This record gives sequence, C-alpha cells and structure tokens, in this order.
Amino acid sequence: MTKKGNNTKRGSVLIAGGGIGGMQAALDLADSGFKVHMIQKDPSIGGTMSMLDKTFPTGDCSMCMISPKMVEVGRHPNIVLHTLSEVTGVEGEPGDFTVTVHEQPRYVDAEKCTGCGACEKKCPKLVVSEFEQGLSKRKAIYSLLPQAVPNTRVIDPVNCLYLQRGRCKACEKFCDTGAINFDDTAKDYQLQVGAIILSPGADRYDPKIRPELGFGRWPNVVTSLQFERILSASGPFAGEIKRPSDERHPRKVAWIQCVGSRDPHNANPWCSSVCCMYATKQAVIAKEHDGSIQPTVFYMEMRAFGKDFDKYVDRAKDQYGVVYRRTMISDVKEDPDTGSLILRFAAEDGTLIEEIFDLVVLSIGFQPHADAAEFARTFGIEPNQHGFAQTSAFGPVETTRPGVYVTGIYQGPKDIPETVAQGSAVAGRSMALLGEARGTEITVQELPDEKDVAGEEPRIGVFVCHCGINISQTVDVKGVAEEMRAVPNVAYSDDLMYACAPDGQEKIKELINEHKLNRVIVASCTPRTHAPLFQDTIREVGLNKYLFELADIREQCSWCHMGQKEIATKKATEIVKMNVAKARYLQPVETDSVPVTPAAMIIGGGVAGMTSAIALADQGFDIHLVEKDDHLGGLAGNVYRTLDGSDVQAFVKEKIAAVDNHPKISVHLETEVATTGGFVGGFKTTLANGDKFDHGAIVVASGGVEYEPEEYGYKDSDRVITQRELEKQIAEGLDPGQKHYLMIQCVGSREEPLNYCSRVCCQDAIKNAIAIKEKSPSAQVTILYRDIRTYGLREDYYQKAREIGVLFVRFEPENKPQVDTGGDRLQVTAFDYVLNQNIRLHPDVVVLSTGLRPHPLTEKVGKQYKLTRNPDGFFLEAHVKLRPVDFPSEGLYVAGLAHAPKNLDETISQALAAAGRAGVLLSHDRLSVSGIISKHNRDICMSCLACFRVCPFGSPFIDEDGKVSHNEVICTGCGICAGICPAKAFQVNNFTDQQIHAMVDAATEDVFEKA
Amino acid sequence: MTVQAQAAVAEEIPSIEPLREIPTDWDPSILAFACHYCAFAAADLAGVMRLSYAHNVKIIRMPCTGKLDHSYVLRAFERGVDGLFVAG
Repeated sequence: MTKKGNNTKRGSVLIAGGGIGGMQAALDLADSGFKVHMIQKDPSIGGTMSMLDKTFPTGDCSMCMISPKMVEVGRHPNIVLHTLSEVTGVEGEPGDFTVTVHEQPRYVDAEKCTGCGACEKKCPKLVVSEFEQGLSKRKAIYSLLPQAVPNTRVIDPVNCLYLQRGRCKACEKFCDTGAINFDDTAKDYQLQVGAIILSPGADRYDPKIRPELGFGRWPNVVTSLQFERILSASGPFAGEIKRPSDERHPRKVAWIQCVGSRDPHNANPWCSSVCCMYATKQAVIAKEHDGSIQPTVFYMEMRAFGKDFDKYVDRAKDQYGVVYRRTMISDVKEDPDTGSLILRFAAEDGTLIEEIFDLVVLSIGFQPHADAAEFARTFGIEPNQHGFAQTSAFGPVETTRPGVYVTGIYQGPKDIPETVAQGSAVAGRSMALLGEARGTEITVQELPDEKDVAGEEPRIGVFVCHCGINISQTVDVKGVAEEMRAVPNVAYSDDLMYACAPDGQEKIKELINEHKLNRVIVASCTPRTHAPLFQDTIREVGLNKYLFELADIREQCSWCHMGQKEIATKKATEIVKMNVAKARYLQPVETDSVPVTPAAMIIGGGVAGMTSAIALADQGFDIHLVEKDDHLGGLAGNVYRTLDGSDVQAFVKEKIAAVDNHPKISVHLETEVATTGGFVGGFKTTLANGDKFDHGAIVVASGGVEYEPEEYGYKDSDRVITQRELEKQIAEGLDPGQKHYLMIQCVGSREEPLNYCSRVCCQDAIKNAIAIKEKSPSAQVTILYRDIRTYGLREDYYQKAREIGVLFVRFEPENKPQVDTGGDRLQVTAFDYVLNQNIRLHPDVVVLSTGLRPHPLTEKVGKQYKLTRNPDGFFLEAHVKLRPVDFPSEGLYVAGLAHAPKNLDETISQALAAAGRAGVLLSHDRLSVSGIISKHNRDICMSCLACFRVCPFGSPFIDEDGKVSHNEVICTGCGICAGICPAKAFQVNNFTDQQIHAMVDAATEDVFEKA
Repeated sequence: MTVQAQAAVAEEIPSIEPLREIPTDWDPSILAFACHYCAFAAADLAGVMRLSYAHNVKIIRMPCTGKLDHSYVLRAFERGVDGLFVAG
C-alpha cells in the first residue's frame, strides 16, 4: 500500500460479474500489476457469451474465442475467483473500499477436485439444465458447461438427494480424491479493494408474458438463446438442427423479432441492440448447417448499425436466401397434427396472410436482472429509469458513485465488442484512479535458477495419468507406462492417479530431482488447459518451462474410444511415443525482454484522442498528442447537444482545457507524423515540424469527416441544409414558427459503394426534430427514413418524437424521395407504403442526414504503420469481437471514428479502452517476449523476402545492411515464415522441423516397419 | 505443340504407380496436423462430448496451420501414411 496525502490507495480491484466484459477488465488489470477479485454468482465464469454458438458478422465460434480467455483468467496469479458469490455490502471511498461477500457452499473442495467428473457420472439425479436453456438435463452435481472455469464440479443443494433427503452420497463414494464435502457451509467475508467494476450482464425477457406467441405451450416455439444451443456443436443436438417436439429436421424456420423489446405495454420499451444481427446470424448458420432450411425473419426495423453489419444482412439475403418480412406477427398457433406453427401477419399491402413454419424462434431481448434494484442499492449507485446503471453521455463507464465503474449490458444493451471495449475502459479508469498503488498487492514468486541442460543427454521422465477413471477405464495406463520404460532416452516412467492434483505435482518434482530428469512428459489431458500448470511445476525445480510436453490421451484418446481398451491403449502408447520423440529434441527457450518507454503518441486531437490522452496521462505516462489542425476538438466542434441534451461544446472546451493544463501532455498542433521507427515499447517518431520523441505505444484516433452531399438539391438551394447545419441554427436560437421541416435519412450511407450505416444520423434527426417540436409545437417535422436505428436506450427518444407529433415516412432505396428545388416552394415526392401511393409534400426546409466518412488522413496513417482498412476505409481492428481496440501489430491501438462511425459516448468508451490497453503495455518496465516464437538464422538466410511478404505481423524486416532481420518482439510464433522459407532459416521454438519430423516418424513407426 | 513434341512430353512423364485395390481389411493410417487454437481444440471438444471416431487418426499439434511445411507432408507419405488431414 502506498500513501498519498491522507488517502490510502489499494492496488486491487473488485469485479462483480465474470462475463466477457468483466474478464477483459480482469486480465487488463491483472496484467498491469493489480490484484483482481472476481465475484461471480454462477459456479463458472463465462457469462452470456459462453452460451453462444457463433458470433456476427464473422461467424467465428464463440466458445473458441472465450474459452482461452476463461482459462487465462482462471490461471492468472493476480486474479482470485470467487464463484457462487455475491456482494452484500460496500463501504468506503474511492481508492479504499471494504466489500462484504457472501459465498454459497460448493460442497466440492476446489483444492482436491481435479475436475475428472467421475462424481457427475454416478449422480442419479437428473435436473433440467439451465445452461442448455431447458433443452437437456444435467446432474445434481455438475459443471455449468464442459469448459467451466474453475473446472470444479458443484453440488446443487436444491436437487441433491443427500442434502434434501439424507441419502445417496454416490458422488462421495466415487470421488478418489475425497473432494466432496457435504459439511460445506456458506461464508461471509470482507475484501479490501481500491476500485469496483460492475459487469453483472443482463437477463432476458420471458416470452411467456406474451402468450399469443405460444412459448411454453407449443414445443416448437423456442427462444433465440435455445436456438443458439441447438446450433451449438456442444449443445443438446450436437449442432444438428432439430426441433424439440419430434427431433425432426425443420425446413421452414421463422424468427420473430423484438420479442420483449420496443414495446412499453407488455414488455420493455428499449431496443436490445443485438437481436436483428443475431437473428441474421442464426439464419445464416442454420442454412450452413442444413442447406434445405428456408429461413424467414419477421421484423419491424432492420437495425444493422454496426461495422460491416449492413453488408452481412445483404449477404444473408442474396447469398443465403434469407427472407426478411417487415411485419409483426399477431399470433402463433400450432397445427396439432404436425406440430408445425401457423403464423398470421399482414403483408405490405395490408392483406392478412397465414404461413406455416416447422420451427419458430423468438428473438428475445435483454433486460436487467430481476434483482437489479437490490444490486444497485448494495453498491450504492443510482439506476436509470429502466433499471440499468445510470451513466452519462460523457461518462459512459462511470456510475453515480466515484470509484465504481460499469461495463457491458448493465450499462445498456450492447454487443460483445462494445462490452469488451468497456471492459478495457473500466480497467483504464481503475488504473488512473489507483495508479501509484500499482504492483503493491501482487505476489511475485521466487524461483530457483534454471539448470543448464544444454549438451546433456536427454533423460526423459514420463508420467501417465489415470485421471481417476477417465483415462484408466479405457486405456491400460500402467501398460503404457511400462512400455515407455523400454523407449530410448526414457529415464523414468510411471503412472499417477492425478498428475494435476497437488500430490501428483509434488511427486513429479521429487522424481525429477531423484532421477535427474531433464525432459518431462505428462500423458493426461489437453495441453491447451494443463500445459501451463505442469510447465510451472517443472520450473519450480529448475527446469526450463519449454522442456515439457503434454501428451493428450484423454480428450483425444480415452474419451473418443470408450469401450475399446486394446485399441485405445495402443493409440495412447503411440501418442506418448510421438511426444517422447519430440521431447528428445526439446531445448530450453530463453525468453527475451525489451525495455518499454513509458510514453504514448496519440494521432488525432478530437474527442477520442483527447480522452485517450487524458486517461493515459492520468495513469502517469507522458503523452504526445499530434493534431494536424491548428486547434483541438475534431468533428465534435460542430456538435452542440447529444440525444439526451448534454452540452457538447462545453464538454469539448473542458477537455481542451484539461489537455492543455495537464503536465504530462505535450500537444503538437498543425503537424503530422513524418517518419516512424522502432516497434512496440520503443517507437521513435519525428513529426513534420521537426519534433522528435520516443514512446512505447501509439493510439490512432485520426477521426472522420462528414459527407458533403451532392444529392437532393443540396448544392442548388439554401433551403436544403444538412442535419449539422440545422443543429447549429437550433443552438443559435432558431425559431421554427410554423414551418415544415422535412428530413431525409441515409444520405450517402447504406448504398454501394459505401454500403454502411453511419450510426449517428437517425439520432441526429430525432434530436433535432424533438428540439424543433419542443421549441414550437406548431412546427411540423417529417422524417423520411429507411429504418430508424435508435438502438439500445436511444429508443426512448424515438418514442418521444412520435408522441410529440413527428411524422415518420419510410422509403426504399430503389424508390427514393425526389426533391424539386425549382419552384417557389420546395416540393418533395415520396412513395408512402401505408397509403400505397406517391405523396407530395411542400416543406419549408429539407434537412439531409449525411453520413460519416473516414478521415482522408486514414489512408496515410494506414500506410505508415502497415494497418489494414476495411473496404469502406475504416481501420480494421485485431479481432472484431475480442480485440476491438487493438491493432494486429503490437503496441498500436485504435479509437473513435477512425475505427467506424459511432456516437460520442461510444467514442469515449473506446478511447478509454485504448488508454486501458496501452496502459497495460506501458505499465511494464520491460516487455517479455513469448517463448514460442520463430527464430531466424541469419547465417543461412538468403534474404529472398518470402517471409517478409507472408508475415501477417511484419516481424521480418529489411535491416540497415539490406538483409532480412527478424523482430522477435512482435512475432507470434505462427510459423508461416518457417513454412515458406526455402533455406529453412526460420525455426519455431518447440515446433522445429526436427521435432515435427521426429513426431511424424514416431507416428508412422508401425506402418513404416510393415512397408 | 507439334505431334512429336507432344509425344516427347508423354514419354518423359515418369511412370506413376497404378492405383491399387483397397484390401477389405484395410486399416488406413491417418495423420492430422492441427492448429493449437482451433482444430486441436475441436479435437478436444470431440472428446469432451464423448464423440467416437476412428482410432487410426493421430494428431500433431501445430502453433498454426501456417507452420505446415512441405517436408512434413512428404515425410509422412514416405513413411507410409495413407492420408493427411490439415485442419486449422
């Protein structure tokens, strides 16, 4: 703990909620020297994302993305998981909170449990699975999901036969490690932390509240989350698309949108932000699983407002044949003979149609947890009118209580990347608050010096694990261990009941010393989760971490060849032999490190750049803010109010003053980056004005520009203005009188060649429409629109606009409104889909909602730093879901309009996120380089540049002598260079050609002998 | 190309072993190169879900399928594997 005046600040943070937002915050904080306590109500972390099959718009597998993060959180030495826990009280001040935690009993001792699952198999009690959304059963002792972290089973006391009726104890009988503890009790304890992050996620609307949709009554009406599980390869139908009533393959599948959303009467008034896109994704994935499926989506408005979303919906329509019908379903009835469902709806011309579907999916929306009010009280924060955490347009991650931050859906409905960005943002805010206490509460392990094994003959130790009965009931474990003793270089081989249990690890350490082992193989489960554990174990007795190999004979042998003992034993033997063959050539890997300059350069002095600058400077880093204009402020200089009426100009002035007065920020105006050198941790920059400086990180916040319209007579008439010009007039005191303002949406957006939604225009139109009507109720406002995209809690303002008499008239892109500026009066002709005929309007002013474009500087910056851009010219992030503010190149981060069009609050969240991510990097004195990297042998390299061309990360480079050198700091060890190098000058540590060839040879031992 | 040239080309093509009959008790040996992050993880998931598949597939873990080298492929076929599966 450190002292600052009278305030004691703690170097630890409590995170309430273990979904993807909380996990991101936890990893960012823990990686930068803070201790993290993660409180999770469920028995496992993972949250909503762990239930999803795939994610839009890339179709990436959700579990493949989140599972490595879960493992990382579970294993991180600076993260303490408190599962089955809730916070019951918070006292104290920012920097020093005392939090009371109530922890439910798990009845399974996490120290002893190895996660083998023998107990679960023997448990006689079947319970409806919450995780599978009621589509399948689990046991009373269970893990929430197969990839649960912690991987410790839990007893559900409500359903346990012993805890309810006093008899059974089957789990206890079959647990070999004695981990079952029926005497476990609830615990209450206190934690002292410096900051609190709320990431509890949200619940989903219960569609039984709308009985006309038939959920709970007709078995083939499922929720969208149930359909995720149906699609999931690890779900109840193993990814085969079946309907629940008869497990037949459905042909016609319908999605009904806005179930529980945008409906103040029976449901929630807000838009849930994600359903349009997930329904599109589900339709596409369903079609990919089974090409005969005919998907139809029934919707009100297509809210594909995110980056590359419109293109995805177009692809769903054009390539996958997904039918979109803009109509609401009045009711769903079952055909009792077939179990299929009859949907009734109005066609565009008003006629009533009935159509039969085999399966109906209800796109249910988000809502705060049932106990949200209590949750807010516990943490002493104010909820907003809908029960989400109250935040402001300029402080999107700050709750009403200082030192308590919020991320994810609890702040308002949003999708995964925005949640992850906010996760990094709250981590950054906590770092700024607790800056000086960084590193005070983490533990650093003392390790013995590494033994020098280079030049020693390999002495391989093989430990074959029973994993209770998981491996041993299928594989003759003792036989495998026995056979290994005869293999050359194997100095020791034996079996262990649980290699991963504390006693197993101790035994491995003793035997390494006793037999002078210098290579170790454990034959048990998957290296993806368990290798780091054993690597740490061998390191504790002085062996380099990379002298270890894990032979996967559980997931990839015993579990998939059950009941075939002879075959499985032979295969397990071969797998272990392959690893022995590799282990002979294992070499210690020295992990290098490079110094980090604790400074950052920020390109762009708009709201994103200024926000990042202040957030990073508050963490104590030196900041160089580079702006090509002669003043700071960027595009926000033309914005006066946010949708909720907050004063943007005052905010921008305040930010400029904060930047100007911050002792850690140097502002470089009217200049650009001239030359750049170095790499992550040590960039060297020279500006066009001659300024030179070193810095460890770069935030690219180069912004965007507004589209200047050519269409709708903008250039011909003063009475045709842009939304931004109207906003200025309103700010200057416009009196609309009885004038008629006609707004046209999507000007320069959502059409080829720039087929993307600019995201801000619908709200700008509604904001200005409300301002006009409030100033002068007798003024008239008509908005011609394609889809009103007031997503999330912004829907309130759409509702309000309609209530105060703003008229909305829809148009289609192939039948756009015509504006005639020739006469005395403006004339606008538009096709009205309700009246089914053209209408003629004579507004006084036509207001064009023009979209956003990337800043022209984007291209140049992209070339300077080798950053890729999407077809629309916006920068591409490292990963659209889980790395939303990182670039693929280490040390570079993106924020604001440079990434994609977005609202001011979203820009602020993202800028704080970029500062959080950069802060993680800059908080290290030195940056250690991963061990699994490609090593370059300059002596045999011919500098043919094959590697230079294929490396996605730019790590091979042309050095000053004109030959290729390799920057190991940014190498990820993918080995593409090694594969393509004709001279074999690249070898990846632990995956060398010699090692792989040895594995191939071992794998083919018996076929080769036969041949 | 002239007729003679075509004939010359035809002559130079090395003789390719004719396809052999598949013996009824054939147990092919299959080797898989799998990316640590996806295909190897998928093989793990198959096990977690207790999906059963043929025993004669052995997996070599790669840091990325980009690491695949032609020498691994040639070595495997030289050593008599019947099929290679590269997944990532």
